[in-house]
Amino acid sequence: MSQHSSTITGPSAPPRGGGDMATFTADAIAVAVDGQLLLEDISFRLEPGQLLAITGPSGCGKTMLLRSLAGLIDPVAGQLRLNGEAPQQLGWPAYRRRVLLVHQQPVLTPGTIRDNLERPFRYRAAASPWNEAAATRFLERLHIEAERLEQRADSLSVGQQQRVCLVRALLLQPDVLLLDEPTSALDETARDAVEALIREVALERSTAAVIVTHDAAQAERWCDVQLALQPTAGGNGQ
Amino acid sequence: MTDLEHGAIELSWIDMTIAAGLVLVAGAVSIALRLGLERRLAIASLRTVVQLLLVGFILRQVFAIDSAWLLMGLLLAMTIAASFAAVGRSSRTFSGATFQAFLTLLLTGMLTTFTVTGAIVGIEPWYRPQYVIPLLGMVLGNSLTGISLSLDHLLERLSAGRQQVEMELTHGATRWEAARAPLAEAVRRGMIPVINSMMVVGIVALPGMMTGQILEGADPMKAVMYQIVVMFMIAAATSLGCMLIGLLACRYLFNSRHQLRSELIRQRA
Repeated sequence: MSQHSSTITGPSAPPRGGGDMATFTADAIAVAVDGQLLLEDISFRLEPGQLLAITGPSGCGKTMLLRSLAGLIDPVAGQLRLNGEAPQQLGWPAYRRRVLLVHQQPVLTPGTIRDNLERPFRYRAAASPWNEAAATRFLERLHIEAERLEQRADSLSVGQQQRVCLVRALLLQPDVLLLDEPTSALDETARDAVEALIREVALERSTAAVIVTHDAAQAERWCDVQLALQPTAGGNGQ
Repeated sequence: MTDLEHGAIELSWIDMTIAAGLVLVAGAVSIALRLGLERRLAIASLRTVVQLLLVGFILRQVFAIDSAWLLMGLLLAMTIAASFAAVGRSSRTFSGATFQAFLTLLLTGMLTTFTVTGAIVGIEPWYRPQYVIPLLGMVLGNSLTGISLSLDHLLERLSAGRQQVEMELTHGATRWEAARAPLAEAVRRGMIPVINSMMVVGIVALPGMMTGQILEGADPMKAVMYQIVVMFMIAAATSLGCMLIGLLACRYLFNSRHQLRSELIRQRA
């Protein structure tokens, strides 16, 4: 059985931004893959607007942890709460819209960038209407010209697709963003733009984020707190 | 001509032997061109004769007995065989798929067949096997192809295309919202053969049932009317079948927490 322990470092940052946003807590979460325990006793409390970095060696279960925080898989133990409410109380689709996972590999559907950005607003759990002005503002902040809204999504580079996926998530105004290596396919300029935008959204909208990164310098620079997953036995996973 | 007006010309065993000679022509071509198909052709021909004679024998018994219970038993056996065939052709499967195919074929097959025999043809009594068995056979034969294509595509989209579905779920889609696109595409795939055959029916080839009726001496217009009913019946059964198997599969492969359980899908060896 392979397990990983966790340590949290960094100042216990006070909530940033305005008031009534939700606190996200993970209490003693354990994650298993194919019956093998990969992570256990993962606990943290994320205040509105706070950025938490999850670091750790490759294969230690960072992605699986994000998947369980997003409710795509069931943790084998522990409890998630958003503002004191369990996901089942909120309803899973509504929970996922508010605690929104952005995969490392960009996933876009065939069609234009606009089609992709508008798509989640068709779901019943969508809480706000489609906002084109916000879409173009976010795209431009991430160095994608607004005129490209009508361009086919599959004509973009992987780095551009990764940024479009991030814009799609931001437009839904989640309480918590779960970002899996969000700058892995980006050059330095684009990476800085993403970091700045997420920080700005954290300040202005109190959107918190859990950010998986293998880059210790980025975690240090970008986030308020860090959760380091340490392998304790020769496990593998993800 | 005179014979046709009085119905079908009876075929003797000598006629059948001459027909077998036609297969020998195919065998000779295979030998001449060294295709190596003679053995398979011989087995296929033998199977055709044995299987059809067996069916003829069974049908003769069933028609003679004329029992509702026996008929229902036979329909059930046909449906079970069709459901195994439907799932067996799919390259991916999951536990319980055959039962879901059985339920689907049972519901759609019976609904369309008995709508035709009861409301359209108006047979008396309702279970007359001469009508029910061939009609259900046609429905099952076509909808099992549709169901199998549909299921194959759906399972591919939910396993190989899992990320796409999970992307929808992470943005707040319910399981049905996330399954909608794969499901619609799966139904479309399953319907293609039926729609294609409806598009070219009568132009490229005459359907088997219609040809049979015409050879039997029926008025071509009457045969055509029957064929139209049959085509519509097959279209309805196939579309309902593709949709129902998709809904049942999605209900099983997504749980109440709106998670996709793609690990339940097995790739067939």
